[in-house]
Amino acid sequence: MTIPDVPISDRKRYIPVFAGAFLLYYMIMMLISPVRTINSLDREYGFRQNEKNIINDSIVTDSTYLSLYRERAFLQARIDMAASDSLCLSLNLPDSSANLDIVGVTVNSTKISGMKVSKILKDRQSYAITSMLSKPLTIENAFSSIPREPLMIKMAPRDTSEYKPDIIPDTADYEPVNFILELKEGIVIYFYQDERLNPFDGLRCFFFDLGYRFVRTWRDLKNVVILKVPEYNPYIKIRLPREDAKILYRALPEKGQVALLR
Amino acid sequence: MENEKLNNEDLSPVRVRYKILRPALIAAIAISVLIFFLYLVPFFQTLTLSGTTKTINSFTLKKDPAYRRQINLLKRDIQLLSSRYGRYTSGQAYLVINTTDNLFYLYRNRKLVREGHCSTGSFKLLKTEEGRSWIFKTPKGKFTILGKTTNPSWKKPDWAFIEEGLPVPSADHHSRFEYGVLGEYALSLGDGYLIHGTIYKRFLGMPVTHGCVRMNDEDLEAVFYTLNIGSKVYIF
Repeated sequence: MTIPDVPISDRKRYIPVFAGAFLLYYMIMMLISPVRTINSLDREYGFRQNEKNIINDSIVTDSTYLSLYRERAFLQARIDMAASDSLCLSLNLPDSSANLDIVGVTVNSTKISGMKVSKILKDRQSYAITSMLSKPLTIENAFSSIPREPLMIKMAPRDTSEYKPDIIPDTADYEPVNFILELKEGIVIYFYQDERLNPFDGLRCFFFDLGYRFVRTWRDLKNVVILKVPEYNPYIKIRLPREDAKILYRALPEKGQVALLR
Repeated sequence: MENEKLNNEDLSPVRVRYKILRPALIAAIAISVLIFFLYLVPFFQTLTLSGTTKTINSFTLKKDPAYRRQINLLKRDIQLLSSRYGRYTSGQAYLVINTTDNLFYLYRNRKLVREGHCSTGSFKLLKTEEGRSWIFKTPKGKFTILGKTTNPSWKKPDWAFIEEGLPVPSADHHSRFEYGVLGEYALSLGDGYLIHGTIYKRFLGMPVTHGCVRMNDEDLEAVFYTLNIGSKVYIF
């Protein structure tokens, strides 16, 4: 078999080389980012010996101390949120519960059906992460498969002849509920509807996730192109009942707060 | 002659195979690149993270008085914070309204005493040609009962006329007042928002109101007599 003699210009011959080099460079930058994130967290929230922490840093490797420290951080964050006078989310991962609080009063409690937590956050012994979580986390961006406010626009009739009474809302209207909260502190929380009520729910969830991956990758690419190490975002992926997912998303304000216990 | 040669070359099996395979190859490369960017790189990122921090249970450390002081300090903090947090949930009666599912929960002494359907804002945005607009939604957050009324009457706002294509009357015109449409009781949340009864009971459990919270007669009566002026209402 003879290979067809396809004319390749010199420029075209270099494309794969450049593409390969870029992919390698992108990969290196992306692999550096988690390490940088951990280092910056340690710098900002790491253990410091002071009047309150009179003991040396060996205490931050003690499991009893860390367990109490985590509990205190969560309570502290919830109390800080209670001062904010708006709807907030408390995620208690060891208890698998997601609570909606207003001024310290839990108004809705949800059992988490399943979760996946990134390695950084799974490291329950990390002092720096726990210190970071002693303050409420703030929602920066949200991506969702449902609108936060299901607005219906209606033009006012000019006179009584144009007036039509309102149609009863279609409660059977079905939309799978998946949403993502990007927090200012770099953590990303994914909420997925647990039930598969429709044969295409799985597929719609996949495309929702894919869409978000595109958004993230585009952001990373832009950073890499300007020689900036992209930000690594630890994640929490949560599955919960559809109705509760809808309640959480619709109740939380755009710049709402989140308290997290790992 | 030359054209014929070119045509023959175009139809050679290798050329044909190449022409068919080329788009498939391009598609395969594109998909591989996408998988690389969207899935492989994030996967490799997680691999770079080291395992969990090692914890110790050193007896020497545990015997250190400074350590014990730290632990006691933490325990005391937790106790203080827990009791402080617990105080946020009032022992007084309060009402919780879920606007997503149109449900209400009435609490007294931190216990649920009644729950049921209600109706909340329809999320309708009413617009006029003149550029005026109203959004009919129930506000979310913490509210206080500011007033309680029996046999309330409804003073129809401008939008109630505009919505039906009627001319807007003067502020105190008799056509603004309707009696018996709000049920037997009303509790005011401020800014014109009320918890009241309804003549449209078949719509309970649906988002159909102009922002107020509607309840059926029995539930409204229970809420009216359980909550006092100053009681809290939490809407989410």
